[in-house]
Amino acid sequence: MSMIRIASIYPTLLGTYGDGGNVAALAHRGALHDIPVEIIEVIPGMAVPRQADLYLLGGGEDTAQVAAATALRADGGLADAAARGATVLAICAGYQLLGEYFPDATGSRTNGLGILDIRTDRLLTRAVGELVAAPDEANNTLGITDLFTGYENHAGATHRGPGVASLGTVLAGVGNGDGGGGRGTGNSRATEGSVFGRIIGTYLHGPCLARNPQLADRLISWVVGRELPSIPEPEVEALRQERLRAVLG
Amino acid sequence: MARKVRNKLAISVGRVVAAASRASKRGEGMVVGGRAMLTISPKLLGDLADDRVWALVSSTNGKTSTTRLLATAAEQAGRVVTQPTGANMTAGIVSALATGPANGHAVLEVDEAYLPQIMSATHPKVLILGNLSRDQLDRMSEVAMIARKWRTMLAAHPETVVIANADDPIVVFAAQCAKNVIWVGAGQAWTADSAVCPECGELLTRGSSVADSQWSCPGCKRARPHPSWHLEYADGHGTVTDPVGQRFDLSTLSLPGRFNASNAILALVAAVELGLEPLDAIRRMSAVTSVSGRYAIMKVGSLQIRLLLAKNPAGWSELVDIMPTAPAPVIVTINSNAADGRDPSWLWDVPFERLRGRTVIATGERRADLAVRLLHAGVDHVVVEDPYSPDADLPGGARSLDVIDCAATYTAFHALRTRADRELQSALGAVPCR
Repeated sequence: MSMIRIASIYPTLLGTYGDGGNVAALAHRGALHDIPVEIIEVIPGMAVPRQADLYLLGGGEDTAQVAAATALRADGGLADAAARGATVLAICAGYQLLGEYFPDATGSRTNGLGILDIRTDRLLTRAVGELVAAPDEANNTLGITDLFTGYENHAGATHRGPGVASLGTVLAGVGNGDGGGGRGTGNSRATEGSVFGRIIGTYLHGPCLARNPQLADRLISWVVGRELPSIPEPEVEALRQERLRAVLG
Repeated sequence: MARKVRNKLAISVGRVVAAASRASKRGEGMVVGGRAMLTISPKLLGDLADDRVWALVSSTNGKTSTTRLLATAAEQAGRVVTQPTGANMTAGIVSALATGPANGHAVLEVDEAYLPQIMSATHPKVLILGNLSRDQLDRMSEVAMIARKWRTMLAAHPETVVIANADDPIVVFAAQCAKNVIWVGAGQAWTADSAVCPECGELLTRGSSVADSQWSCPGCKRARPHPSWHLEYADGHGTVTDPVGQRFDLSTLSLPGRFNASNAILALVAAVELGLEPLDAIRRMSAVTSVSGRYAIMKVGSLQIRLLLAKNPAGWSELVDIMPTAPAPVIVTINSNAADGRDPSWLWDVPFERLRGRTVIATGERRADLAVRLLHAGVDHVVVEDPYSPDADLPGGARSLDVIDCAATYTAFHALRTRADRELQSALGAVPCR
């Protein structure tokens, strides 16, 4: 493969929490593996490219989230790409809008894209803080063995449909908000994120791919169709250790 | 207990608490003193404010500097009460009013989230609204949410004249609910938090450059209000044009950068609205060289630093312009305490790529996050726990600079000031006086 094409969807709407860093992380990991990437920044009003390899959606504020969902539904390109098996990583507001519905600024249900069989309602208390998840299911679906680390800041309780796996089990934080417990209760049923085919949704900011390079490599490897060697970087490993120590003790 | 007696008691107890805090070197005591006062007399703020609050200033960036500029200008009319530090929530404001000159006119900076309650208690004559952008998202909630709270607040305060930046669509969205607004074209370089119309969610249409600050919404037709005052800024010099076309030169300002010219025009408009003389106001503002340590040059450990406050992407995007050019190394120190914002993922919105060509000394509690960000930005860096130690392993050139720029988040900034003060005190103490 010569070049992987990454479509960054509506960074002006979905980029509140430094999620632009996920694009930077993919370009960076790609370069480490000698895989060049082309970044297509898709701004609202522009057609979503049908032929990109990887689609990225970040987090955003309520109004922007509704605007992005409306524009993406009207465009149809992301749903087409997902249907043909393209890789999608969606964070927070972007994650929620892939589902059947999500709450708008007033709490009313807004239709999502229906690409992922998830439904999001409001959490009673906003989930804000470090989030750590063990890659139990992601180990099977994605071959990921490292703990997921990131920061969450959302008010969504996301429920997965029967065919959708979770990304992991919450060790600290709230994640999907399906554990029945609050922050740090260690409820073993609390899950984080969703995986369905090559569509991944998560509440992990940080940015997610900068703090979880195994996940970045998995996305790239899906696109290029081969396994990638592990290339740890000292700065990233130091950050992961420091964060995990700060959260888990 | 009669209200007056209770207030008096509250203030004296608060003073004692503040003095104890200073004596134990825990800080300046503004906040703990104010908290003690409010515990004894919960309505103290309204009573202290009485009718003497001239101005409140709120903004994501620049509120401390704008407040200092306006407070300095306002001294032409007598003594002024203002916060000596950035203590801008209820306790800090109570403390400033209780301990400042009695009957002095007050010019106060206010935290964006606390503004509605401070407005209700103090009924200021003017309110300056500079800009709203992402900052401390863990505490502040999202930008549009703050703007909606400001709208409700302004609708309830028709007595206050609002001086608002017409170049920030989020500020305009909030200020349009005020009865009496003076629109100021104060400029705004950071537009990432106002990509969409806060009203209808459509993508805003914008001018093609920072100098072209027009914006409009194709959906609800909201557009930049025509400002009655505006700022032009080129080659380090700001010029203000007033509603009748008279021009004022801001090139005498000591505070650097476009953003300080933007702070100064807002302060100038407020000064004029308060009946002050504009040329004298500019002369006084020009004498302000450092605001609560910002841009101050100080010795910390073995280094002479110029201290810069850099706490969010909007602030950073303007700060790089005033740093000496590459390859001069710079120190960047990142913390994530409550006042910094617990989540430093905003580092990814900072255009650190513009620091390429120099070595960044990454420090602070979140230096590991910064190092990963710099790695991705392709910026050379070293991670040093204490760069001020004489033994620190610093990049070439760092020790040969007369002054090295140090950009710090809020709590890191204050820790450096405290350390510099402490080291200065102990150096002075070490000189034999006999």
